[in-house]
Amino acid sequence: MNVKRKRIILTTIILLVVIVACSVWYIFTVKFNDTKDEKPAFNVKALDLIHEFKTNDSLANKKYAEKILTVSGLVTEIESADSTLNIKLGDTLTGSYAIFAFQQQHLNEAKSIKKGDSISIKGSCSGGAYSEILESEFITFKRCAINK
Amino acid sequence: MKKTNLILALVFASGALFAQKKTTTSGTVNFDATTSLDALPKADNKTVVAAINTTSGTIAFEAIVKSFSFSNPMMQEHFNSDKWLDSDKFPTSTFKGKITNLSTIDFSKDGTYPADVAGDLTIHGLTKPATAKGNIVVSGKAISATAEFTIKLADYGVTGKAIEGGKVAKEPKIIVAVDFK
Repeated sequence: MNVKRKRIILTTIILLVVIVACSVWYIFTVKFNDTKDEKPAFNVKALDLIHEFKTNDSLANKKYAEKILTVSGLVTEIESADSTLNIKLGDTLTGSYAIFAFQQQHLNEAKSIKKGDSISIKGSCSGGAYSEILESEFITFKRCAINK
Repeated sequence: MKKTNLILALVFASGALFAQKKTTTSGTVNFDATTSLDALPKADNKTVVAAINTTSGTIAFEAIVKSFSFSNPMMQEHFNSDKWLDSDKFPTSTFKGKITNLSTIDFSKDGTYPADVAGDLTIHGLTKPATAKGNIVVSGKAISATAEFTIKLADYGVTGKAIEGGKVAKEPKIIVAVDFK
Protein backbone atom coordinates (compact mmCIF):
# COMPACT_ATOMS: atom_id res chain seq x y z
CA MET A 1 0.00 0.00 0.00
CA ASN A 2 1.52 3.30 -1.02
CA VAL A 3 1.81 6.32 1.26
CA LYS A 4 -0.87 8.29 -0.59
CA ARG A 5 -3.43 5.50 -0.18
CA LYS A 6 -2.59 5.15 3.53
CA ARG A 7 -3.15 8.91 4.01
CA ILE A 8 -6.56 8.76 2.29
CA ILE A 9 -7.68 5.83 4.48
CA LEU A 10 -6.42 7.53 7.66
CA THR A 11 -8.09 10.85 6.75
CA THR A 12 -11.39 9.05 6.00
CA ILE A 13 -11.31 7.23 9.36
CA ILE A 14 -10.56 10.47 11.25
CA LEU A 15 -13.38 12.25 9.40
CA LEU A 16 -15.83 9.44 10.19
CA VAL A 17 -14.85 9.48 13.88
CA VAL A 18 -15.31 13.28 14.01
CA ILE A 19 -18.73 13.07 12.29
CA VAL A 20 -19.95 10.31 14.63
CA ALA A 21 -18.61 12.17 17.72
CA CYS A 22 -20.30 15.41 16.61
CA SER A 23 -23.61 13.61 15.93
CA VAL A 24 -23.56 11.90 19.36
CA TRP A 25 -22.61 15.17 21.06
CA TYR A 26 -25.48 16.97 19.26
CA ILE A 27 -28.08 14.31 20.09
CA PHE A 28 -27.15 14.31 23.76
CA THR A 29 -26.84 18.06 24.25
CA VAL A 30 -29.69 19.37 22.11
CA LYS A 31 -32.54 20.92 24.07
CA PHE A 32 -36.10 21.73 23.13
CA ASN A 33 -36.51 24.98 21.18
CA ASP A 34 -38.09 27.99 22.79
CA THR A 35 -41.82 27.30 22.37
CA LYS A 36 -42.38 30.98 21.54
CA ASP A 37 -40.47 30.41 18.28
CA GLU A 38 -42.35 27.24 17.37
CA LYS A 39 -45.09 27.23 14.75
CA PRO A 40 -48.34 25.91 16.26
CA ALA A 41 -50.01 22.91 14.62
CA PHE A 42 -53.42 24.10 15.88
CA ASN A 43 -55.01 27.31 17.17
CA VAL A 44 -57.95 26.51 19.44
CA LYS A 45 -60.24 28.04 22.05
CA ALA A 46 -59.86 26.45 25.48
CA LEU A 47 -63.54 25.58 25.84
CA ASP A 48 -63.64 23.99 22.37
CA LEU A 49 -60.54 21.94 23.19
CA ILE A 50 -62.03 20.77 26.49
CA HIS A 51 -65.25 19.84 24.72
CA GLU A 52 -63.32 17.84 22.11
CA PHE A 53 -61.47 15.86 24.81
CA LYS A 54 -64.69 15.30 26.78
CA THR A 55 -66.42 13.98 23.67
CA ASN A 56 -63.68 11.46 22.80
CA ASP A 57 -60.31 11.75 24.53
CA SER A 58 -58.75 8.87 22.55
CA LEU A 59 -59.35 10.70 19.28
CA ALA A 60 -58.32 14.04 20.77
CA ASN A 61 -55.10 12.53 22.15
CA LYS A 62 -54.21 11.17 18.71
CA LYS A 63 -54.87 14.57 17.18
CA TYR A 64 -53.15 16.85 19.70
CA ALA A 65 -50.64 14.95 21.89
CA GLU A 66 -47.01 16.11 21.57
CA LYS A 67 -48.03 18.89 19.18
CA ILE A 68 -47.60 22.61 19.70
CA LEU A 69 -50.97 24.33 20.23
CA THR A 70 -52.02 27.90 20.74
CA VAL A 71 -54.92 27.94 23.19
CA SER A 72 -56.95 31.04 24.03
CA GLY A 73 -59.42 31.65 26.82
CA LEU A 74 -60.09 33.16 30.22
CA VAL A 75 -57.76 32.38 33.11
CA THR A 76 -59.81 30.53 35.73
CA GLU A 77 -56.98 29.79 38.16
CA ILE A 78 -53.29 30.33 38.82
CA GLU A 79 -51.61 27.66 40.93
CA SER A 80 -48.14 27.33 42.35
CA ALA A 81 -46.35 24.13 41.37
CA ASP A 82 -43.22 23.64 43.46
CA SER A 83 -41.15 26.75 42.65
CA THR A 84 -43.05 27.50 39.42
CA LEU A 85 -46.66 28.20 38.50
CA ASN A 86 -49.40 26.78 36.31
CA ILE A 87 -52.21 28.63 34.57
CA LYS A 88 -55.62 27.01 34.12
CA LEU A 89 -58.21 27.75 31.46
CA GLY A 90 -61.24 25.88 32.67
CA ASP A 91 -64.87 25.15 32.04
CA THR A 92 -66.50 26.47 35.21
CA LEU A 93 -69.72 24.55 34.49
CA THR A 94 -68.18 21.06 34.38
CA GLY A 95 -64.91 21.53 36.27
CA SER A 96 -62.91 20.26 33.28
CA TYR A 97 -59.80 22.25 32.47
CA ALA A 98 -56.63 22.71 30.43
CA ILE A 99 -53.52 23.41 32.53
CA PHE A 100 -50.27 24.97 31.34
CA ALA A 101 -46.80 24.49 32.90
CA PHE A 102 -44.31 27.08 31.72
CA GLN A 103 -40.87 26.89 30.19
CA GLN A 104 -38.29 28.27 32.62
CA GLN A 105 -37.50 31.32 30.45
CA HIS A 106 -41.19 32.28 30.30
CA LEU A 107 -42.02 32.03 33.99
CA ASN A 108 -41.78 35.78 34.61
CA GLU A 109 -44.31 36.52 31.83
CA ALA A 110 -46.65 33.95 33.37
CA LYS A 111 -46.32 35.60 36.79
CA SER A 112 -47.81 38.81 35.39
CA ILE A 113 -51.06 37.04 34.41
CA LYS A 114 -54.08 37.36 36.69
CA LYS A 115 -57.25 35.35 37.20
CA GLY A 116 -59.90 36.55 34.74
CA ASP A 117 -57.40 37.73 32.10
CA SER A 118 -58.10 36.83 28.49
CA ILE A 119 -54.93 35.22 27.16
CA SER A 120 -53.38 33.04 24.50
CA ILE A 121 -50.84 30.39 25.52
CA LYS A 122 -48.56 28.36 23.27
CA GLY A 123 -47.39 24.99 24.55
CA SER A 124 -46.77 21.32 23.91
CA CYS A 125 -49.97 19.35 24.52
CA SER A 126 -49.32 16.29 26.69
CA GLY A 127 -52.82 14.96 26.16
CA GLY A 128 -55.89 14.61 28.30
CA ALA A 129 -57.66 12.05 30.47
CA TYR A 130 -60.68 11.66 32.68
CA SER A 131 -59.74 12.18 36.32
CA GLU A 132 -61.42 9.76 38.72
CA ILE A 133 -60.30 12.03 41.56
CA LEU A 134 -61.91 15.19 40.16
CA GLU A 135 -64.58 13.45 38.06
CA SER A 136 -63.76 15.74 35.18
CA GLU A 137 -61.53 15.90 32.12
CA PHE A 138 -58.05 17.40 32.40
CA ILE A 139 -55.71 18.34 29.58
CA THR A 140 -52.09 19.14 30.36
CA PHE A 141 -49.47 21.22 28.57
CA LYS A 142 -45.72 21.47 29.10
CA ARG A 143 -42.98 23.93 27.93
CA CYS A 144 -45.50 26.79 27.61
CA ALA A 145 -45.08 30.46 26.77
CA ILE A 146 -47.53 33.36 26.78
CA ASN A 147 -48.46 33.97 23.16
CA LYS A 148 -49.72 37.52 23.58
CA MET B 1 -85.49 14.99 72.30
CA LYS B 2 -85.72 17.16 69.19
CA LYS B 3 -83.02 19.43 70.61
CA THR B 4 -80.70 16.44 71.18
CA ASN B 5 -81.24 15.25 67.61
CA LEU B 6 -80.46 18.73 66.30
CA ILE B 7 -77.22 18.91 68.31
CA LEU B 8 -76.20 15.44 67.10
CA ALA B 9 -76.93 16.42 63.49
CA LEU B 10 -74.80 19.56 63.86
CA VAL B 11 -71.93 17.56 65.38
CA PHE B 12 -72.00 15.08 62.47
CA ALA B 13 -72.30 17.93 59.93
CA SER B 14 -69.26 19.73 61.36
CA GLY B 15 -67.33 16.43 61.36
CA ALA B 16 -68.19 15.96 57.69
CA LEU B 17 -66.96 19.46 56.92
CA PHE B 18 -63.57 18.82 58.53
CA ALA B 19 -63.36 15.45 56.76
CA GLN B 20 -63.63 16.99 53.31
CA LYS B 21 -61.35 15.74 50.59
CA LYS B 22 -58.53 18.10 49.71
CA THR B 23 -57.17 18.12 46.17
CA THR B 24 -54.61 19.74 43.90
CA THR B 25 -54.19 19.88 40.13
CA SER B 26 -50.60 21.14 40.31
CA GLY B 27 -48.78 18.39 42.17
CA THR B 28 -45.20 17.79 41.08
CA VAL B 29 -43.46 14.47 40.51
CA ASN B 30 -39.77 14.35 39.64
CA PHE B 31 -38.38 11.26 37.92
CA ASP B 32 -34.63 10.82 38.24
CA ALA B 33 -33.02 7.84 36.49
CA THR B 34 -29.62 9.49 35.99
CA THR B 35 -26.43 7.48 36.41
CA SER B 36 -22.71 8.28 36.31
CA LEU B 37 -22.86 7.44 32.58
CA ASP B 38 -25.85 9.58 31.63
CA ALA B 39 -27.33 12.73 33.16
CA LEU B 40 -30.24 12.96 30.70
CA PRO B 41 -32.94 10.59 32.01
CA LYS B 42 -34.48 13.14 34.35
CA ALA B 43 -37.91 14.76 34.07
CA ASP B 44 -40.60 16.53 36.01
CA ASN B 45 -44.37 16.58 35.80
CA LYS B 46 -45.94 19.69 37.35
CA THR B 47 -49.58 19.00 36.51
CA VAL B 48 -50.30 15.93 38.64
CA VAL B 49 -53.79 15.58 40.14
CA ALA B 50 -53.78 14.45 43.78
CA ALA B 51 -56.21 14.08 46.67
CA ILE B 52 -56.06 13.39 50.39
CA ASN B 53 -58.84 12.50 52.80
CA THR B 54 -57.76 13.61 56.24
CA THR B 55 -60.27 11.37 58.02
CA SER B 56 -59.78 8.06 56.23
CA GLY B 57 -56.13 8.73 55.33
CA THR B 58 -56.66 7.77 51.70
CA ILE B 59 -54.33 9.41 49.22
CA ALA B 60 -54.42 9.28 45.42
CA PHE B 61 -52.43 10.58 42.44
CA GLU B 62 -53.09 10.70 38.70
CA ALA B 63 -50.40 11.72 36.21
CA ILE B 64 -50.49 11.98 32.44
CA VAL B 65 -47.29 10.20 31.34
CA LYS B 66 -46.60 12.55 28.43
CA SER B 67 -46.57 15.44 30.93
CA PHE B 68 -43.13 14.35 32.16
CA SER B 69 -40.95 17.04 30.66
CA PHE B 70 -37.32 16.25 29.73
CA SER B 71 -34.77 18.82 28.60
CA ASN B 72 -33.64 16.55 25.75
CA PRO B 73 -36.08 15.75 22.88
CA MET B 74 -34.56 12.31 22.22
CA MET B 75 -34.97 11.31 25.87
CA GLN B 76 -38.58 12.55 25.84
CA GLU B 77 -39.25 10.36 22.79
CA HIS B 78 -37.57 7.27 24.32
CA PHE B 79 -39.47 7.69 27.61
CA ASN B 80 -42.83 7.64 25.79
CA SER B 81 -41.94 5.01 23.19
CA ASP B 82 -43.37 1.47 23.14
CA LYS B 83 -40.01 0.17 24.42
CA TRP B 84 -40.37 2.27 27.57
CA LEU B 85 -43.60 3.57 29.07
CA ASP B 86 -45.66 3.20 25.88
CA SER B 87 -47.67 6.29 26.75
CA ASP B 88 -49.96 5.98 23.72
CA LYS B 89 -51.22 2.66 25.10
CA PHE B 90 -50.92 3.55 28.82
CA PRO B 91 -51.49 7.32 28.97
CA THR B 92 -51.73 7.68 32.75
CA SER B 93 -49.91 6.51 35.88
CA THR B 94 -51.81 6.35 39.15
CA PHE B 95 -51.31 5.72 42.84
CA LYS B 96 -54.08 4.77 45.27
CA GLY B 97 -53.13 4.23 48.87
CA LYS B 98 -53.45 5.06 52.53
CA ILE B 99 -51.44 6.77 55.23
CA THR B 100 -50.63 3.84 57.54
CA ASN B 101 -49.69 5.95 60.58
CA LEU B 102 -52.71 8.27 60.38
CA SER B 103 -53.22 8.26 64.15
CA THR B 104 -49.91 10.13 64.64
CA ILE B 105 -50.95 13.01 62.35
CA ASP B 106 -53.09 15.83 63.74
CA PHE B 107 -54.55 17.69 60.77
CA SER B 108 -56.07 20.29 63.11
CA LYS B 109 -52.71 21.31 64.58
CA ASP B 110 -49.87 23.06 62.75
CA GLY B 111 -46.73 20.97 62.45
CA THR B 112 -44.59 18.64 60.37
CA TYR B 113 -45.57 14.99 60.66
CA PRO B 114 -43.67 11.98 59.30
CA ALA B 115 -46.04 9.92 57.14
CA ASP B 116 -45.89 6.33 55.92
CA VAL B 117 -47.89 5.61 52.80
CA ALA B 118 -48.74 2.23 51.28
CA GLY B 119 -50.82 1.46 48.25
CA ASP B 120 -50.95 0.39 44.62
CA LEU B 121 -48.83 2.10 41.98
CA THR B 122 -49.82 1.65 38.34
CA ILE B 123 -47.20 2.34 35.69
CA HIS B 124 -47.06 1.00 32.13
CA GLY B 125 -50.38 -0.77 32.72
CA LEU B 126 -48.98 -2.86 35.61
CA THR B 127 -50.13 -2.42 39.20
CA LYS B 128 -47.72 -3.26 42.04
CA PRO B 129 -47.76 -2.57 45.77
CA ALA B 130 -45.64 0.42 46.73
CA THR B 131 -44.63 2.15 49.95
CA ALA B 132 -43.14 5.57 50.61
CA LYS B 133 -41.99 7.62 53.55
CA GLY B 134 -42.68 11.31 53.54
CA ASN B 135 -43.71 14.36 55.50
CA ILE B 136 -47.03 16.11 55.87
CA VAL B 137 -46.95 19.77 56.82
CA VAL B 138 -50.07 21.32 58.35
CA SER B 139 -50.19 25.10 58.38
CA GLY B 140 -53.59 26.58 59.15
CA LYS B 141 -55.98 25.20 56.56
CA ALA B 142 -53.14 24.34 54.17
CA ILE B 143 -51.78 20.81 53.93
CA SER B 144 -48.67 19.97 51.94
CA ALA B 145 -46.95 16.64 51.49
CA THR B 146 -43.59 15.44 50.22
CA ALA B 147 -42.26 11.94 49.67
CA GLU B 148 -39.25 10.28 48.12
CA PHE B 149 -39.00 6.66 47.06
CA THR B 150 -37.57 4.40 44.37
CA ILE B 151 -39.25 2.05 41.94
CA LYS B 152 -37.83 -1.00 40.16
CA LEU B 153 -38.38 -0.42 36.43
CA ALA B 154 -38.32 -4.19 35.80
CA ASP B 155 -41.36 -4.58 38.11
CA TYR B 156 -43.30 -2.45 35.65
CA GLY B 157 -42.06 -4.25 32.55
CA VAL B 158 -39.62 -1.51 31.58
CA THR B 159 -36.34 -3.06 30.41
CA GLY B 160 -33.79 -2.50 27.67
CA LYS B 161 -30.17 -2.04 26.67
CA ALA B 162 -29.92 1.44 28.16
CA ILE B 163 -30.92 0.08 31.58
CA GLU B 164 -28.72 -3.01 31.35
CA GLY B 165 -25.83 -0.87 30.12
CA GLY B 166 -26.07 1.45 33.12
CA LYS B 167 -27.19 4.56 31.20
CA VAL B 168 -30.55 4.54 32.95
CA ALA B 169 -30.91 3.68 36.66
CA LYS B 170 -32.61 0.36 37.31
CA GLU B 171 -34.29 1.95 40.32
CA PRO B 172 -35.10 5.60 39.55
CA LYS B 173 -35.77 8.04 42.35
CA ILE B 174 -39.28 9.54 42.50
CA ILE B 175 -39.82 12.78 44.41
CA VAL B 176 -43.38 13.95 45.06
CA ALA B 177 -44.45 17.40 46.32
CA VAL B 178 -48.07 18.52 46.64
CA ASP B 179 -49.91 21.47 48.16
CA PHE B 180 -53.51 20.52 48.84
CA LYS B 181 -56.27 23.12 48.77
